[in-house]
Amino acid sequence: MIDTYSRHRPLALLAIVVVAQVMLLAFQIKGEHDVRLIRYWAVALVTPLERAGTWSFSKVGGAWDGYVGLRNARAENERMHSELDQLRLRNRELESQAAETQRLSTVLNFRNAHAEASMLAAQVIGSSADPTSHTLFINRGERDRLRINMGVVTPDGIVGKIVEVLPNTAQVLLINDKDSGVGALFSASRTHGVVRGSGDPEPRMEYVVNDEKVQAGDAIVTSGEDRIFPKDFPIGTVESARPANPFQVIRVQPSARLDRLEEVLVLLTQQEVVFKKPETPAAAAAAGEPASGAKTATANSSAAPQ
Amino acid sequence: MLNVGERSDPNVEVHKFFSGAVLAVCLLALVFQAFLHKYGRWSELIDLPLLVTIYFGVSRRNPVTGLFLGGTIGILQDALSHDNPIGMYGIAKTIIGYLASSIGGRIDTEHPLSRFALVFFFFHFHQIILAITQRVLLNHSAPLFTLRLFLDSLVTSAFAVPLFALLDRLRRPS
Repeated sequence: MIDTYSRHRPLALLAIVVVAQVMLLAFQIKGEHDVRLIRYWAVALVTPLERAGTWSFSKVGGAWDGYVGLRNARAENERMHSELDQLRLRNRELESQAAETQRLSTVLNFRNAHAEASMLAAQVIGSSADPTSHTLFINRGERDRLRINMGVVTPDGIVGKIVEVLPNTAQVLLINDKDSGVGALFSASRTHGVVRGSGDPEPRMEYVVNDEKVQAGDAIVTSGEDRIFPKDFPIGTVESARPANPFQVIRVQPSARLDRLEEVLVLLTQQEVVFKKPETPAAAAAAGEPASGAKTATANSSAAPQ
Repeated sequence: MLNVGERSDPNVEVHKFFSGAVLAVCLLALVFQAFLHKYGRWSELIDLPLLVTIYFGVSRRNPVTGLFLGGTIGILQDALSHDNPIGMYGIAKTIIGYLASSIGGRIDTEHPLSRFALVFFFFHFHQIILAITQRVLLNHSAPLFTLRLFLDSLVTSAFAVPLFALLDRLRRPS
């Protein structure tokens, strides 16, 4: 008897448990009662874990979103930096091209304004390796009909003269080189002298007597006596002048920017030229006329060519 | 004839688990079932409480603990649902827990294929008990078998294989 009960005890328990639950179901259905206590316990048991799960999910999800967002932001930042670098490079290229266009336009305008003079545009390709020597090299040479002692100018003023000619290159001695000398005169007083290089960036105007009244800012132009430069081409302005024995010491600020030359004009002949001050493209555009128009300002127009 | 209510053969290996592992896994199954439901209806495909009932039933091979464990899980599952009367899942899982414990000692429940087949069988048996309970006691027209139920049973059975392998790690070395 005991053995039978022992053998069937699980089955009996199953029947009891199932019947109990059936009765519980019937109780809920028939009386429309809800077993709130069981639900309350179950919810109380599970909701803390659910809350912890939700919190963990939101934290992990938030951290993951933040990490992904950070990675994206970093990648985007790198991409934008790269793009910015490229744009900066491109901007520099465009600025350089614009500056070159402006310079070439100025040179072209000058050349057009002096159509009577035979000139050849050249590009500066190098300078002297010796810091005490003020020379530079241009990309024109013997094949372009360049010869020694031809004058080199810019629309701002004279630069120097050719001292060496190779087939495709020529060496230009700048007016501030110590071996350089240019026949010069004061634009206003017409007093003659010689502008000679001193090795410094500023050349000197020599052979001006102490009685001559010279002021800073006085314009100095070519005299044409050296047979290299036409008369009345700008050389520079007086920077300072002081009396000395036997002549004044006059420092000259060259009109041409000798330290920043990129394009120059070589005077192929020594024909006399009436120097006309170049007009910038911007000024020409503002005036609504071509830059090479007839209204270019004429400097020293009173000085007739000799 | 197989007497499913008979105590397990003493020579049959009974797996023991680390203390608290059964309780923690059952609780987690209920929590996950309720929790994952928020993240999509795909979680309805798998009945995690049923799976842990089967697993611990076949592992512990004690019909008494199996039926009580199944009953408790089922009642908690009912309690956590909004509209189920308490006892609907309780009855079904009580019977499943009892049967799983009784069968566990008699057939191979370690091989993945046998686990797949076991879960597939218990899934449909569980569904039949639920349907009968709903029809008889609640007067609801619950289906005994549908294509959707068949697909759900395949998914649940497939999911059970790696889950059971994972739960095997909670066993205490014999």
